[in-house]
Amino acid sequence: MTEYAIRTEDLSRAYGAHFALSALTLDVPRGEIFGLLGHNGAGKTTTVGLLTTLLEPTAGSANVAGADIAGQAAAVRRAIGYLPENVQFYDDLTLRENLRFFGRLSGLRHPDSRIDEVLVLVDFEGHADERLGTFSKGMRQRVGIAQAILHRPQVLFLDEPTSGLDPEGVRHLREIIVRLNGEFGITVFMNTHLLSEVSRTCTSIGILRQGVLVHHDTLAKTLGTFPTEEALEDTYFRASATVRE
Amino acid sequence: MSEFRAVVAHEILANRRSRAPQLLIGVFVGMVAVSAVIGWITTNTVSGVYDQIRANGLTSQPNPFTDVSVLYYARNTIIYVVLVGSLMAIALGVESALRDRKAATADLVLSRPVHPRVLLGGRVGGLATVLGLIVGSGTLVSWISLSLVQGASLSVPLTARLLAFGILTWAFLVGFAAAGVLSGLYLRRETTALLAPFVGWAILAFVLPQLGTALLNPVAQVPRTSGIFHILSYLTNPLSVTEQFKAVSSSLLEGPPGPSPFPAVALIVAFSAAMTIAMLATPLRRIRGGIDV
Repeated sequence: MTEYAIRTEDLSRAYGAHFALSALTLDVPRGEIFGLLGHNGAGKTTTVGLLTTLLEPTAGSANVAGADIAGQAAAVRRAIGYLPENVQFYDDLTLRENLRFFGRLSGLRHPDSRIDEVLVLVDFEGHADERLGTFSKGMRQRVGIAQAILHRPQVLFLDEPTSGLDPEGVRHLREIIVRLNGEFGITVFMNTHLLSEVSRTCTSIGILRQGVLVHHDTLAKTLGTFPTEEALEDTYFRASATVRE
Repeated sequence: MSEFRAVVAHEILANRRSRAPQLLIGVFVGMVAVSAVIGWITTNTVSGVYDQIRANGLTSQPNPFTDVSVLYYARNTIIYVVLVGSLMAIALGVESALRDRKAATADLVLSRPVHPRVLLGGRVGGLATVLGLIVGSGTLVSWISLSLVQGASLSVPLTARLLAFGILTWAFLVGFAAAGVLSGLYLRRETTALLAPFVGWAILAFVLPQLGTALLNPVAQVPRTSGIFHILSYLTNPLSVTEQFKAVSSSLLEGPPGPSPFPAVALIVAFSAAMTIAMLATPLRRIRGGIDV
């Protein structure tokens, strides 16, 4: 087993002359909760798209859970869980039917007992036979987490997981993420533009600006240099070179 | 293989839950159910009129409607398959492709270890199973209706013919379902995705068979054996998969004997295979693409 859950080297994705991600070189050790910060359009979703093999790189390479994203895409997908931004499901199907489908796609032959375990983890006991069309945004995010961890992934990719949630939903989701990392040793790679998320959840952070990684360090070191959340905010804005109103 | 089965099972479940396909299926099976009765009533009415004409001494020819096979009563089903069945299959296919694109679940599905071709193949497999169940139900309903009209169970040879017609119908409809999926994957708007294969179907059903005949010929009553119209008709008529389906089905349901059915069956199978292969070749970015609602 390699020491790093994620390793990228000069990973790039261009659309014509425009680089959505430019020469990203990054190591995320196993067991970390890594937060990738950046404005809208900074390249965060492109990074996750590449690391989850949904996009193909135009240059560079990356390794996720010991498998190469270009040559071993199926192995990468078996090792990861993914929660897209604004996750959606099949509203006509029940929670269990949705999870059964994603569990089977992930290679689980008899997913039902695992579904029961996961539903306990995300506090959804008793909701298994309800149709997802009736679920709120916060509930869907928790269903998203449930589908992402069904097959016991090594690395969990979360794209803006708390976006659009109320404070209660944010707190609940944060607790789940920390628990997954602490109890089950899942490495978490989280995209966000919320500094409070990073400072309360992550163990290391990176900041993307126009497709370029401009800062990467552990949260402890970053906070050692910038001990308050306001200072962290300053780091973020300085690194992303944005004038704050 | 388990991923393929998962997609097939998901497709069947999604169709079971969705209201639009249920409505279409109800209409189709209902029409098939009454087809035999309509055919029987029509034949009896025409036969009665003919007998009246004979009694009035207007003809001495024997009644040609008294010796028709009971399968002849189900001939309306052919038209229902071409007009309602193929549109139903297109709608099911488009709905299947749009399900992930509208709900934005494609990324979630594709982040699992399932190859895009397995995903699309499973989708057509699921649709083929759903269509198999619909056609199977229709065939069973037809068998029961015809047996009731006849007053006895259909004989084994007639049952075999009805089954062969069911299998042909299934192969025919799978092609249109795949065409629907293809359209749903490539077109950005739901309405366009539905309309495009309907236009294609209309060309196959109405335009190709008529090219070269007097209907589309600006000069009325031109014989089909003359010049360019003959060539057009010779080239395009066999390409109309709906016309070929009608011809073979008509022979199966004991209509007038036609030419060898093999080229027509080959065309129907080739049409379904071509649509499926084209769909399986869809690139990943198209499967991931959203839709303008």
